[in-house]
Amino acid sequence: MNPVARIVLIVVYSILGLAATGRATVQIIESFSEAPLAYTLSAISAALYVLIAVALWRGWETVALVGSSLELFGVLVVGTLGVVDSTLWPDETVWTGYGSGYGWVPVLLPLAALYFLVKGRQRRAAANR
Amino acid sequence: MGAYSSLVYPAVLVVSGALVVLGVATLIAVGTHRVLQWAVTAAYVVVGLQALWVAALLLSGTKASLVVTLGYLVATVALLPLLGIGRLGHPDAALEDPDPSRPVLAPDQIARVDAGAAIAVGIALAVASWRITVLLGGGS
Repeated sequence: MNPVARIVLIVVYSILGLAATGRATVQIIESFSEAPLAYTLSAISAALYVLIAVALWRGWETVALVGSSLELFGVLVVGTLGVVDSTLWPDETVWTGYGSGYGWVPVLLPLAALYFLVKGRQRRAAANR
Repeated sequence: MGAYSSLVYPAVLVVSGALVVLGVATLIAVGTHRVLQWAVTAAYVVVGLQALWVAALLLSGTKASLVVTLGYLVATVALLPLLGIGRLGHPDAALEDPDPSRPVLAPDQIARVDAGAAIAVGIALAVASWRITVLLGGGS
């Protein structure tokens, strides 16, 4: 994987992990009963961001690949469900509106991560041939 | 609150903007990296000043939520180590790490990593500082 892209992705995942962890912590401490599913999803997304950041740093490419795929799946499902039925989410999560509250970074970031991870694997496979 | 919203908060926004602009400039021309490093130093100074000022405001009594405001404040400080993260890819730093997957960067790659980090941190710093100011009742 391109080392520049790898470290920049780690930085952005760390920032998003920090933001999502803060959001989830406040939501769960202050008003978990109001929207348990939404706030649990916030906590899951926070954990996923931190896991992907660590995986990218430690070179656990498969973990990063699976994590980014899960993240993309989550943001697409939560975003689409919000469009289909706006009453489904009593409160916002990081992934609501495809991550519009975070400048759509939550939907763009896994796409970038998957691009660089897959490209890195393809390059390595080509070099091994 | 007056001095915070008229002096400290604008200073944080100016430095955040400088990080983004110089980050983009460094991606285009690696030679700008040295100027970016000055902006990183300035970021440490203004964020430190903001942390002290906001802590003083919170201690003196404010209607802002203590937990949320402190959370954002801690976040602004936690962002700082990400500035200049390219140093982790310096060959000397990598030599001390037994991890074989540790990235080793060339000088121009270190500059580009620092530039990308400066752009991301600059945006996040501005947003977090704006949220602190809103919570303290100094913005909308």
